[in-house]
Amino acid sequence: MSLFVLSLGFGLVTASVLSVAALGFTLQFGISNVLNLAYSSFMTLAGFIAYWLNTQGLDIWLCLLVAAAATAILSLGLSRAVYEPFIRRGARSFEILIISLAVGVAVTNLLLAFIGPSGFSYPGVQNASVYHFAGLTLTSDQLVVIAIAVALMIGSHLLLTSTSIGRALRATAENSELARACGIATPRITRIVWLLSGALCGAAGVVLFLSISSFTVQSGQDFLVPIVAAAVLGGIGQPYGAMLGALVIGLASEVSAAFINPSDKEVVAFALLVLVLLARPQGLFAEAAHRREVIT
Amino acid sequence: MRSRVPLALTAAAAIVASLGLASCAKAGSAGTAPKAHATLIIGLFDPFTGPDAIFGQEMVPPCEAAVKVINSAGGVLGHKLACKVVDTRGDPADAVPAAHQMIATTPDLVGIIGPSSDEMDATAPIINAAHIPFVTVSGEPSFNHTHLQYYWRNTPSDDATGYAMAARAIALHYTRGAAVFGNDINAQANVPGLLASFPKSGRKIVINLQLAPTQSSYETEVARVIATHPDVLFSEDDSQTSATFLGEYKQLNHGKLPPLIVTNVGMQPDWYKAVSGAIGKQLMTDATGVQTYASFSGPAYAAYKAALLGLTGTPDVQQYFSNTYVMSYYDNVIMFAIAMLAAKSVNPVVWNSYIPRVTGTGKGVVVHTFNAAASKLPGTSVNYVGAIGEQSFNQWHNSSGGFEVAQWLPNGQLKQLAVITAAQVSALQNGG
Repeated sequence: MSLFVLSLGFGLVTASVLSVAALGFTLQFGISNVLNLAYSSFMTLAGFIAYWLNTQGLDIWLCLLVAAAATAILSLGLSRAVYEPFIRRGARSFEILIISLAVGVAVTNLLLAFIGPSGFSYPGVQNASVYHFAGLTLTSDQLVVIAIAVALMIGSHLLLTSTSIGRALRATAENSELARACGIATPRITRIVWLLSGALCGAAGVVLFLSISSFTVQSGQDFLVPIVAAAVLGGIGQPYGAMLGALVIGLASEVSAAFINPSDKEVVAFALLVLVLLARPQGLFAEAAHRREVIT
Repeated sequence: MRSRVPLALTAAAAIVASLGLASCAKAGSAGTAPKAHATLIIGLFDPFTGPDAIFGQEMVPPCEAAVKVINSAGGVLGHKLACKVVDTRGDPADAVPAAHQMIATTPDLVGIIGPSSDEMDATAPIINAAHIPFVTVSGEPSFNHTHLQYYWRNTPSDDATGYAMAARAIALHYTRGAAVFGNDINAQANVPGLLASFPKSGRKIVINLQLAPTQSSYETEVARVIATHPDVLFSEDDSQTSATFLGEYKQLNHGKLPPLIVTNVGMQPDWYKAVSGAIGKQLMTDATGVQTYASFSGPAYAAYKAALLGLTGTPDVQQYFSNTYVMSYYDNVIMFAIAMLAAKSVNPVVWNSYIPRVTGTGKGVVVHTFNAAASKLPGTSVNYVGAIGEQSFNQWHNSSGGFEVAQWLPNGQLKQLAVITAAQVSALQNGG
């Protein structure tokens, strides 16, 4: 029983990291219709921006903010410099998917060329305090990561439901042609989303690297499949779905590791994904997801 | 559609350029056979990108150091040598075309250091069919009895390492071992030997877990291990997995770790850097490892260190002073050159069979350097004993000596604690 409770706590941490990443990924897809597989490479980039700043003496949580801002700008730049020209020329979703994969490979290898293959750690990561409560054992960093995830979830909810930008975002995600006809500046909304998703991507990169203690230029890419899985499980393009999908995958993988060979914990999580999609192909949290093209 | 072409080309060029920059590959020349006075190429066929990129990166300094020593002495039979990086990316799907391309486009390729275990099964037959001698550090037990004529291995196989880990734990009177190995073929190859030899005379393996690599968390796995109260932890995982696992172990175990016995994977500078960042440098002294034996003293070791220090433009060569795998890469290039001198030929088909004749035969004059060998050959038989010690290849081209037990120090250096002889390992393998 205690191992089960412990694993629930650990699953919550995994889900928190995953939810931040999956939220940004799915939000951006929901508006732009670009399945951006370079996302994880930009997470890595953000993690290293934060690392560099941290080694210069900046507090890690300030580093997170700066890295998120930098990644937001880079993400918008990527959209404008790479994806938009292809989309204007009529590139299909599959072509954009491959281009995003190419961008991700290029970014990762450029990082490898300049940073090298070695592992890095944020200074002081091993000194986090440990707290035991209600059968759970969590470190101070993990508690902050959970708090960040919760804050971002609430912030996203408020943005989507209580602001004019949020309403425009939802309208564009639902039907961009109709939104444009209603006077919403959809190109501007799309660029705002690239900024938002870039910021979430950057934040996710830093919390991921905090979580894994030691990271390399490959570490973000290792996380791409769970991110996409969480987004698809929740209903691709659905922010609340991504949060729910992250929770399911995070908890399923950690709780299963308590009782089976942990080498198979991802198998359990992805088997669950397949089962859910068999029963509900549009995902857990999607009214409109079934209308959305994922891969053509 | 035509207007897309420049953008597509730009994207493709960016990828190719980044891949090329990352692997730092040097251009090879076209052709099919070594020409008179042509520069002979030693291929470094290993991962230079991807999760195991460190494997290949560690090959470059020793190869260049050995080549510099050989070329400074006038080269081999009128030929200079050079090292060429060939990136396998640690993936058979990439390694197979890379092997074909390397062989097809490098006419003066005379020897290869590699492949790693990542691509060994897929590419060893290709290299062998091209009649290029290759020395691997892959510990795959499936090559213990291979009939590939151009295959050579002078480091122990992984199954022997499992017995050596048990020998160390038995010597220290540990009784409750936890086995936590990666789920890849290389790490798992250690487990049968460990399970066969440690659980005797009241000792037992209290838990045997396989870890999926590079997960964002192993806390549940750590909690399971802690619950079994092990007094020793056996492990082989990549540096990132180990860093995350051990960092979380320390956090959940009140800042402490049990004594840790790792394999050569845990004896690499890359592993030290990653793990010490996660658990702190002071706790690194809990980690000891078993790896190929080397003396770290004597004339061959002095020559190896001097060669590394003679490199210009290679930062921090000191990190390789106690890395037995890097030492073996250096020795292998020297061994190739000496075999060519002994065979009086740079044709790999000719000098391949001279490898066992210039190493560990018990005959000939013992030499520790290329210069010493060159002064004797071809008139006098030589026995090259390099930095990793004497080699003695069996009929399957494997030379497996003893193991050293080394401990990490807080300053990142390794301290040799003990030696496990080949006879001790053999006794455990025979049920002792």
